[in-house]
Order: sequence, then structure tokens, then C-alpha cells
Amino acid sequence: MIWVTWRQHRAQILVTAAFLVLLGMLLLGSAVEASRYVAEHAPPGCPGVAVACGDLAVALGQRYEAVYSIFGWMPLVAPALIGAFWGAPLLGREYERGTHRLAWTQSVPVGRWLAVKLSLLGGAVVAGGLLLSLMVSLWRPVFRTGADSTFGNIGVFNMVGVGPAAWWLYAFALGTAAGTLFRRTLPAMALVVAGVAVSMFTLFQLSDYYAEPARTELSGTVLPADPDARLVSAAWVEPSGREVAEPADSGCPRRVDVGQSSKNAEAWQACLFGKGYRYAVYYHPPSRFWRFQWTDGGILALASAALVGLAVHRTLRRPG
Amino acid sequence: MRPALEATGLGVRYRRTWALRDCSLSVPAGRVAALVGPNGAGKTTLMHAAVGLLRPTLGSVRVAGEAAFVAQDKPLYESFTVAEMLAFGRRMNTRWDDAADRLAGLGIPLKQKVSGLSGGQQAQVALTLALACRPDLLVLDEPLANLDPVARHDVMRSIMAEVAGRELTVLLSSHVVSDLEETCDWLVVLNGGRLQVSGDIEDLLDGHLVLTGPEGASAAGTQVVGASRVGRQVSMLVRGAPPLDPRWQARRPGLEELVMGYLRSPESAALPGLTGVGA
Repeated sequence: MIWVTWRQHRAQILVTAAFLVLLGMLLLGSAVEASRYVAEHAPPGCPGVAVACGDLAVALGQRYEAVYSIFGWMPLVAPALIGAFWGAPLLGREYERGTHRLAWTQSVPVGRWLAVKLSLLGGAVVAGGLLLSLMVSLWRPVFRTGADSTFGNIGVFNMVGVGPAAWWLYAFALGTAAGTLFRRTLPAMALVVAGVAVSMFTLFQLSDYYAEPARTELSGTVLPADPDARLVSAAWVEPSGREVAEPADSGCPRRVDVGQSSKNAEAWQACLFGKGYRYAVYYHPPSRFWRFQWTDGGILALASAALVGLAVHRTLRRPG
Repeated sequence: MRPALEATGLGVRYRRTWALRDCSLSVPAGRVAALVGPNGAGKTTLMHAAVGLLRPTLGSVRVAGEAAFVAQDKPLYESFTVAEMLAFGRRMNTRWDDAADRLAGLGIPLKQKVSGLSGGQQAQVALTLALACRPDLLVLDEPLANLDPVARHDVMRSIMAEVAGRELTVLLSSHVVSDLEETCDWLVVLNGGRLQVSGDIEDLLDGHLVLTGPEGASAAGTQVVGASRVGRQVSMLVRGAPPLDPRWQARRPGLEELVMGYLRSPESAALPGLTGVGA
């Protein structure tokens, strides 16, 4: 059964492994090159948040634009591909070609066939996701010491910790379930791509409620001190201490900004602060990184279990 | 002797339509049973229930020992080589005979990809896989469909060689009766999801007569399965003793005539236990 699984899915396994190796080499190469560049060009104390590091960060950004853009797409594209090429064909292709009637009429019972394939391939997918996360975690500090964005930036957040493993497993389970639903590969692939995108958006929206947001009152600025925090909501606090969504009768002139300028909004905010208003922000601080990682991971693991359960149920109920 | 295949009150429903209902039959061990009926009669459904590909809605179906199945269109993994297909069979079965010699004997190269084989060769590989796990019951769904006449003959001969060599029961379906005439000794006729005939072919042929005679001749004393009219001539398939009216000419039916007679009269049935005809 292990040999059968390997023989039937070796194309996906080898391509994914090759992709990870290639990405590893790319990350390693860019990290080595970047640290050499940093050693030559960086002022003391950089990279970091200091003003003097700005030039360096911009220069690094320009040098590695290609790597960054691959990186930007990967949180969405990688799980979608895993779901489409590992999950969707697992049962969809068997049904499509009629080979399920060959596979499930041998001595090995259907239940065992499913158990071996799902655990081996699911395990491989999780291992691949963890490897990706490890590589990214080792690579990122070279570029961003001090100014972290692993929590605030959802793309990065989904590429580190248990994120990739959870998303890959979820996409695999979704593809498998879609394969039993359509009994065809192509529609199942399409469903995986759409499903992963929708799930990622939904989970991001949902993540605001993973914990009670922290509250802090700002004066003089509307931006929280930690740029890596996730902003949930904000409100104005009147001098009387009452919290309002929009200050009324403040006496500050509010003009609409044109184009990309925010000059008028800033003037209005400065006027409000001058009159004793404060700005309350509700946010999740980056210290909640692991709490959010495990919550996302837990939800995705449960969803994967449910989808696999659905696929197994549908398969066992009517194998023919 | 224990029957190789036994169905009791078997019913299978897909959503709202019954593909098979109230089907009770038993095929004795060692027989080559032909499962005949028009498209949509429930042949494939009966076979899938027998090999465990679907669960009966009602009743049960039991196979004595191990069953091997070759589905319609003889599915194989197209990207596998023939040798890999054999490795697949070996790893997926508890009982396994090395079948490489059999394929070599048929001139099928083991290193060839399955997708590069002819239809007849693919049928032989599928059949070889099914035989290599030494089944007690071999179930073949339309094994001869989409094959040229030479391949049909070769496949049929392969099956017969296996049956002669050991204790093997075969259930094979076809909607072409003439394919089965020489090889099968048991007949099962399905029509519209109902079982019409199940019995030993020789006994069935002996128990029926084709009568031809003028319109108006009396058929009293016989059980009429079905009748057809050509001009003033009446031709009918009857069961039991010939009638007394001397204007009838009686002869033994052929297998095809027998099958057609029943298929044209879905309300008739020849089942052991119901009518006493057959085994």
C-alpha cells in the first residue's frame, strides 16, 4: 500500500520537494548575499528601526524585489496548489478514470486504502509546510532585525509558525473532499482554489475575535506605537471621557482630501487633539503571535478533520 | 454444495429509482454464469453489490470465498507499466500468483506502459490481475465490449482455460447473447431491475419449446412465455409439455430465442422455487 501510494503520487511529491529545495536555495542565496551587502553598507546598529537604517531597508527592498514578490504570493498560491494537485486528484482522478473500481475490489479494504493514503500524504503535506515555515523563519531576520512584521502582516503571519502546515493540510483535505463531491479532478481543483482564498479571507476577519483586544489611548497621533500590532477598531474619546465613533460639534473644520493627500485629515486630527480629544485604539499586540497561530492552526486542523471525515464517509457509503 | 454466489431479496435504490428489486438467486460453484439483459437492466448494479462496491438497500448478497472483479471498460492505471500493474496487484492482495509468465505468454511486454497497449491487451492485463489473486468467484462486467472479434475470442478462451484448470465460478455480463452461447452453462436474465430467469442453460432449453402454427390453434395445457405474430403464423415460446393441438410444430429453442422470449415479456419468469423450472 505504501508503494502504491508512492507510485501514484510520486509526481506531486517530487515536484513539491523540488520546489522546496529550490526555494530553500533561493532564500539561502539571497540571505547570504544580503548579509554580505549589509556588512558592507550598513551603518552601525542596522538593520533596525533607527532612522539611519531607512536607506539600507529601501536598498535591500529594491535588490530583492523579485524574492519579495514570490514571497508575497506564496501564502495563497502554495496551499491552493497543494489542494489542487495533492488533494483533488486523490479521489477525483480515481472516480474520473473508473480506477476506483479496480483499487477498491482488491483484498485491501477501502477503509485501509483511505487510511494509508490520507495519513501518508497528509503527513507529507504537513512536513512540507513545516519545512517551509522553518526556512522562512531562518531567512527573514537577515532582512528585518528589530522591525518585525510576522504578526501584523497576514501574509507573513501565514508563512511562519504552524501557519503553512495548517493551511497546506486544510487545502489537501478540501481537495480530497471536493474530489468525492464532483468525482472529477478539474472542478475539484477549481473549488480548492476558490475555497482556500475564501477561507483565508474569512479566517483573517475572524481573527479579530481570537482574544479581547487591548485598548490604549493615544494623543497627538492616530498610529499605535508598535507597527506590528493588528488594529481591530478605533474611536475618539471626548474631553468628557465619552467614547464616540465620530466627534460631533467639535468645532474643528473637516475638509475632504483629494487624491493621495491626507493633509486635511491630519489637520483635523491635530485640531481635535488640541481641544483635548484622545484617540482610542483597540488592537492585538504582537505578543499574541503564538496564541493566534495556534488558534488559526486549531481551526484549520478541525476543519481538515471534518473535510476528511466527509470524504471518508462519502467514499465508504458508496464506493462504486 | 454451497452456492458460489447467493442473493436474497436484494434491492438497490439510487435516490428514488430502484436499480434492482427483490432479486433472489444462487449460482452453484463451478459454473460459468451469463448475466443477460438490456441496458439499464441492473446487471452492473448486481455485480457491484456482489463485489462490495455498493451496499444493498434491501436484502443481502453473499459470495463464498474471495471475489475478483473486472469493471466495465477494464480500468487500469494508464501511467503504470504492465510490470507496475502486477506489482500493484501483488501489494494489494493477500493471495497472489506471479502472473508475469501468463502475460509474457500472451506477448504483452512487461515494460510497456498500459496506455500504449491495445484494447485487447488491456483486457488481458485486467483479466490477469483478477485471476492472479486466485479468486473463488470471478465477476466480469461486459468483458467483451469494445473488443475486436479476435480479442473477444482470445479473452473468452483465457477465461475458459482458467475455469477448466480449477474450481472457479464466473459471472459475466453481456447484452450480446451470442457471445455467451458456447461458454456459459448458467443463465441469469435481468430486465428492468427484476430477475426473470435463473437456471442451468441445458435445463432451461429442455424445459421450453418454440411453437409455430396457424392463428387460432389452441395452446391449452402449456404455459406461454411470449408470442409473436408474422402474417397468419403465430410463433411462441412456451414452458412445459407440448400442447395437444396437432397444428403446432414444436422444437427446442436456441439460447437467444429463449432470452428474447423472456425479455419481450417482462411479466414472465422462470425461477427455481417459483415455477420449478431450472436447477
